[in-house]
Parts: sequence; C-alpha cells; structure tokens
Amino acid sequence: MAAVIGTDLVTITINDVDIQVPKGELIVESVKRLGLEIPIFCYHPRMKPVGMCRMCLVEVGFKQPDGSVRKMPKPQAGCTLPASDGMVVFTDTEMVHKDRKGVLEFLLINHPLDCPICDRGGECPLQNNTVFYGPSTSRYIEIKRHLPKAFPLSKYVTLDLERCIQCGRCVRFTEEISGDSQLAFRFRGAQMQPSTFQLLDFESKFSGNVIEICPVGALTSAKYRFRARPWDLETKPSICLECSNGCNVWFDHRASKFVRINGRTNEAVNEEWTCDQGKFGHDWYNDPRRLIQPLIRAEAPELTESAGEAPQAFRPARWADAYDVIAPRFQSQGSRVGVLAGSKISNEGYFLLQKLVREQMKSNNLDHRWTNHLTPREARLEHKFGVNPRQFEIAEIESFSSILVFGGSLADDLPIVFLRVRKAWFQNGCKVVVASSQATDVDSFAHLSLIYRPGSEAALAAGLLHLLAPQTPGVARWTPEAIQEATGVPAAKLREAAEALRSPGMGIVTSHEMLNKPKGPDALEVLAGLAHQVGGRFSVFSCAGNDQGAADLGVLPDTVPGGARVESPGLDTRAILGAAAEGQLDALWLAGCNPFELWPDRDLVTRALENVPFLVVQDSLETEAMAYASVVLPMEAPAEQDGTYTNCEGRVQRLRKVIEAPGDAKEAWRTYQELSLRLHPQAPLFNPSEVLGEISAQVPGYPGPNHEGLLGEGVVVPELGSNPDFSGLESTLGRL
Amino acid sequence: MSELLQIGAVNERPKPPRAEDLNLRFSDRAVAELEALKTHYPNWKACILPGLWIAQREYGGFLSGEAIAEVAHRLQRSYAEVEGVATFYSMYNTAHVPGKHKIEVCTCLTCQVCGAYPLWEHLKAKLGIGHGETTADGMFTLEEVECLNACDRAPLIQVGDQYIGPLDTAGVDRLLDELRGRSDSTVVQMADVVVQVHLREPERNPT
Repeated sequence: MAAVIGTDLVTITINDVDIQVPKGELIVESVKRLGLEIPIFCYHPRMKPVGMCRMCLVEVGFKQPDGSVRKMPKPQAGCTLPASDGMVVFTDTEMVHKDRKGVLEFLLINHPLDCPICDRGGECPLQNNTVFYGPSTSRYIEIKRHLPKAFPLSKYVTLDLERCIQCGRCVRFTEEISGDSQLAFRFRGAQMQPSTFQLLDFESKFSGNVIEICPVGALTSAKYRFRARPWDLETKPSICLECSNGCNVWFDHRASKFVRINGRTNEAVNEEWTCDQGKFGHDWYNDPRRLIQPLIRAEAPELTESAGEAPQAFRPARWADAYDVIAPRFQSQGSRVGVLAGSKISNEGYFLLQKLVREQMKSNNLDHRWTNHLTPREARLEHKFGVNPRQFEIAEIESFSSILVFGGSLADDLPIVFLRVRKAWFQNGCKVVVASSQATDVDSFAHLSLIYRPGSEAALAAGLLHLLAPQTPGVARWTPEAIQEATGVPAAKLREAAEALRSPGMGIVTSHEMLNKPKGPDALEVLAGLAHQVGGRFSVFSCAGNDQGAADLGVLPDTVPGGARVESPGLDTRAILGAAAEGQLDALWLAGCNPFELWPDRDLVTRALENVPFLVVQDSLETEAMAYASVVLPMEAPAEQDGTYTNCEGRVQRLRKVIEAPGDAKEAWRTYQELSLRLHPQAPLFNPSEVLGEISAQVPGYPGPNHEGLLGEGVVVPELGSNPDFSGLESTLGRL
Repeated sequence: MSELLQIGAVNERPKPPRAEDLNLRFSDRAVAELEALKTHYPNWKACILPGLWIAQREYGGFLSGEAIAEVAHRLQRSYAEVEGVATFYSMYNTAHVPGKHKIEVCTCLTCQVCGAYPLWEHLKAKLGIGHGETTADGMFTLEEVECLNACDRAPLIQVGDQYIGPLDTAGVDRLLDELRGRSDSTVVQMADVVVQVHLREPERNPT
C-alpha cells in the first residue's frame, strides 16, 4: 500500500471492531482489512491522496480516558486521514449516509445523466456509488453546465468535459506515474477542466491508463467509443506480447472478436498499468488480412493461366496437403535449410520448433534474433563471465538506491520498466543516471543525463568503471579526460555521475537495444563487470515479445534448451539470410516473422527471399514476405491458444486461450508437432501442458505445467550464472 | 467492428510546441530577474507565480499561450501545469487581451451602498463597453470585480496598482482623461510592480 509510512502498529476501532493497522495507514485502506468499503472517486491506491471529491467521508472520534468516544463535530475524508492510536471510525452511521448522499447530489448537479449513451455505463464508479449510496431522484431542476462533448484530446483519448467530476486522477497520473505532466486543471470552480496545454495533442506513451482510472465517462477510448457495452463483453485474463514486459491485461472480446485491452493487476510486473503500445496495439487481431487457411503456390503457372487465374497464384489447401509439400523439402536437409523465428510464439512453440529443426531437419540453422550484433554463445555474458544477465526482477527496481539506465530509450523499449524506474525515483528518491546517445524520457527525472556520441557507448561504460572500480585490470587508461575525448561527455559530469551512482544498492538497467549499437556488446560486458565490481546488480532485458523464451528454449544456432553448447553451430540470422541470398539454402522457414520489418538491410532480405527455392511463411497476418512464399501457414495469435511466455525479466507466465482463432489457423506448437510426426513417427505431445512438462525436464528453472506460480504472478526462471569470472574483461577493455 | 468511429481528424491534432521552436521573448532584464527569483524558492515549481508576472509584463499585459510556454520552458515545468496555474488566478490576463488600462469597479456591498452602480453604468455608457470588454482603440478594459477590501474608500475603482476612491461620475471622467494622457500601460506597470515586490533590493533593476 502506497500510503503506509511506518511499520509500527496502532489499534483503531472501525464500526466497533478493534483492529491493528500500520501507523499512518490511510483509513480508506484500513477498512478494507475488515472487508468494508468506503466509496471513493479521487483516491487511487497508487497515487498520493488529495481529498478532492469528499466521497470517502467517515465519522471519526477518539477514545476518552473514561472509555467514552468523543466524535469530531464534522466528518473526515478517509482518504487523507492516517490511522493513529485510539482512533474510532464509523463508516455506517446515519450521518455518514447523509453525507454521502449530499456529496453525490452535488457531483450529479453538473454530471449529465446520459448513462445510456455513455461508454462508461455499466462499469462506472459514479453510477455504482450513486446506486449504492446516492439519492434515488434528483432535486435539481435548473439548467446543467454545458461544455464541449467528445473532444479528441489525442488519437486515443476522447474528452467529455460535461461528465468530468474533477477528481484529478488523470492529472495526478500524468504527474506522478507517467511523468509527462501533459494534463493539468485549467480554470477554476465549475469551469475547472482537466486538459492538455491549450487543448493541444495529448502526447504520452501511457495515455491509455487515464481512460481506465477515470471514475466517470469523461475520458474514453477513441478506439472503443460506442463499440460495445461492458455487459456485452466477455473478458478473460491475458498477457500483452507487444513488447517484452509481459504486462498482464484483461482481453475484452465479443463474439470471438477482440474489442479492447485493460490493465490487469500483477504487482510483480505492471502493477496495473499498460502502455499505449500495448493497450491500443491489439487491433491486428481483427485485421481482415489475418491468414485463415494454408496456401500453396501453384507450381505450374501455365496450368493456372489456362484456368484463367493469375500466374503464380496461391491456392487454398488443407493442412495435410501443406505438410506433404513441406515435409520433403526440409527432412534431413542439414545445412541446406534455415529457420528464422519471430517473437510472438509461445515457449511451447519455440521448444518444438527447435526440436523439429534439430531432430528432424538435422540442422542448426535456426535463430530468433534480429539485432545487429548476433553474439555467439561463448561471447554471451552468462558463458563468457559466468554471470547472470538478469540479476533483478522488475519489481526489485524500486529497492535500488541508485540506477544507471544505459542506452536506448527506456520508455520506448521497455515502457513498464520505465514506470518502475520512475517510481523508484518518485517514491523512494532513488538517484537515476541515464546514459544514451539521444535525449530520452528518463531525462525529465534523471539526476544526470550523459549524452554520448553514437558509437561510443563502450567507452562511456569503461569511464564509469574507471571511476567506480579503479582496481579493475585494464581500466586505467579510461580516465574521465579520455572519456571526454572519446564520448563527448564532460569529465566533470562523468565524475558527478559516478558519485551519484556510488552506493551498494546500485542497479544497471539496460536492454537488448544495445545489441544494435556499434560497440553495444562490449558496453554490456563492461557494465556487467561494473556491477560485479561494485556489488551492484545488472540486467540486460530483452525487448521483443517472447524473445527471452526463444533464447532460453534454444531457438539459437549454437545453444540447445537449457544453455548447453551445440556440437557444430549452425548459421545465425545474418548468415541464414546471406546463405539464402547466395543460393546456398534449399528451403527457408519464416516462423512468425517478417524480415522486411525486422532486418535493417532490406536489400539482403529481398535477395534472400528471391533466391531461396522453397520458402515457408508461417504467420498470423499477411506480410510482405508472403509475396515470395511457396507455402503459407496460418498461425494462431497468442490470445487464441494456450501457452506460456517468458518476459524480459525471465518470468514465465501462462496465457489461457481467450478467443477462437479465425478459420483454419493453427497454434505454432501444433504445426511443428504435426510436421514432426510426419517426418518421424513418434509419440505425440497432445497439448501445451505436455510440452511444458518436457520443457521443465530439460531446461533448469522452467516450471512444470502444474506449478502453482503459473496461477499467480508467474515463475521467474532463476539465475543461470553463479560463478562469475571477469578475467576476460581486460581484453575487452583493451580493444575498445 | 472494422472501422473506428472517430470525431474530427484526430491524427492531425495540433502538437504543443517543441522547446527548439519556442520564440523566446524575455528581455535580458527579465531573464536576470527570473534567475534571481529562482534562488528564492526551494524548487522551480514554486517560482511559477512570479515567473508568470514577469511574462505578463514582458508580453504587454496578456499571458498568451506563447508566454505561458516560455515560462514553462524557462522553469522546466510542463506547459499544462503552468497554464493550469495561470488560468486559476484572475489577476493573470489569460482569457482575453486587455486594453492599455484595466478599470476594475468594485460592486460589492459597501461600494454598492455608496453608489458603485451609477459609476458602473456611467463607465459603460461612456466607453460603450460592458464587463470584460475592451474599447475598439485598445485603450480601456472594463471589469466588475468582487470586494477589493477597501470599504473605507467606497465606491472604489482599481486601475493598475492604484486604488482610487471614493469617486463620483465627475471623478471618473477626470480619471479617464488622465489615463488617456498616460503614455505607459497601467496593466504592464502593475505587473512590473508585482515583480519588483518579489525581488530583493540588490536584485532590482539588474543591468
């Protein structure tokens, strides 16, 4: 609870029940311990209380020496009242009920009674509180306030000023949580309105949350407006895979069609927030370009031409036919085939994919990485230094006393990690130092921003290592002056940053985005060494969907599930594309990925797809790569299948099937299983749980299908490296 | 559920100005004053009110969006926050551009008893404008205000930082003539006085 200040316990009495609560806990929270409820509008457990709406009025008194209770003459706001010893709280007296009725009558004076056409109707705190605590009729016969309706604040958020009850939740969200301070109250009194500067565009990466926390229909989603009523929607828990944070969300759907995403509480991951990327990024579920059946390219153009069709057209096929075409092309082809994977496949899918490739295709040409640097196994941190590349969970960020955010733009790469870093600063006063080659959103609250010249990230990391751990061999030449020369960061600023970071509770937050930087892998090595030397902790988070799962489950040319070495490593992404372009591959399988979007070298991708004789495109949506495909396999989207996903911190979370997949689309894992069976008769795995069972047997730390953690906040795969040895760091420092 | 119902071209919403696009108009003197004021407070957020007074002076008596953006930029606060502060207080001119002189007529109880409304009607007739309006030549803005806390001098009129009263219609005519003869704007002059009040003696009139 955000409001708890100390751990001392005090005894208070709520409705004649004595209860011990932490000293200073807000009364509105304390009553929840007894299962009671105080109606609220402006209070939000994750934000500072302001006591603006007066809905939470309670009667409060204090025990007198003679045992009687002396009540305060006026009711008190429960959301701003900290518990103290001997406090007596009444939430159910006639006076409280009268107060609540009065407050609601006041709020409803200006609030239009347009619930039947309001998006919020059915899930509206004002509606609910009025039904439970409010007057049944209105005595107000005057003309209500009239203000603009349906004003588009941004392409996502629509503002209806008439409905606003001026609780300030949205304003406080942008100030306290997202930090962009895009909303503020303009004007005053009855004219007071939450809005952006001069009603200009609401530019925020987290604007969707204000829609969810608005207790009335004042802020509504432009994408959801008038699309459904809440009681017509079915909702199921889901996980967002638009980035690697693995946010828990509610997936609202109607007649098996996606309708909207709302945040779902998981204290360990996203608390209850979502980013706009995720909240408004699921429209593709309803895209008319969804693939609904396997397609096989007509082999003989002259035949199809005579039949009056376009040459080289696809013909719809049954799955069995598609497998028949695919199987001989891939069976035991060894190094003549390649497989590239995207980031939205479940762990089960990745596991069976690598199994299919290694056992049936006899190949190791398999990769899921699309970064510029495709670090080979022996150069990866866990194998080179024996150090775990993910040393803390997202929630642990709050406990750091100083944080170094290194490289990339955190709010874009890992939006929810960004919110945690900001929370660490906002609530705990953690000092944040950000190092990036450009201005980022972290700058707004950072103690210091180190803007380095692009390409000099490794030198900057070495400079910090020099100042914080001068005993490290090989770091002597990276003096602040040398760093100023190399990176453009002033020496004095670097010294100041090092002083800010110098504390045992230091955390280093960085991401796989570093692997796109020229000297990124070196910088990561130096940063890992820095954390090791100063006793801090270091995490390099993956950035895309289920990338972490793919890495753990061996969708890599040189690593099998569990991290063991492959005898003869295959080709990585760049080499697979290169080999395909040179005509050295006979067949290529694109599993849920579109290289045109993922790989920066478009020319190489075009040549690769043009020159590979047989191309399988397995995806949920039509993509550009389909133009080159020999066979197209429709794949189910994450919310259309059971499966587990591993987020950036290594947390395995289960996603239960929410909606039906369109047409003949098939889960990725089932596709690989069925093809495997055709290539090599074996005992099949019938469902994702069985696959997960097999994963947990092979990959240390992965939970089995019955692990109770999968029912709750997920299971974090424990540390990999436990025996750090940074003797190799000297050579890294030498070659920077 | 194919097409979204959207009102207006929301993808073409005007954007708030970028920091590099701002047309900063504070004079050197104003910048020096703001720098001095920043040292008076524990944080820059607390400096928003005096910062807005400087802007009101520098922008000729009216706090336009540009003026607010400049204050926000100089104090590293968000535009919305500073605009929220500016629009809350009635002495910041954010609603409409005031004339050279703002005539504020108190019509609360004491002034009313002592004859504020005849003055008010006289002013309206003479200037041809009503509450919150400005004469066509941009000389006068007329406002009816709540109690000015000077009942001993009722009926009372405030112009700039001056309280003038008790007044009769002849006195009002003399006042208007006098104001017409002034070359400077009392609106700007009042903003300057408020800024000077905030500053310490050595910080005033920095060179």
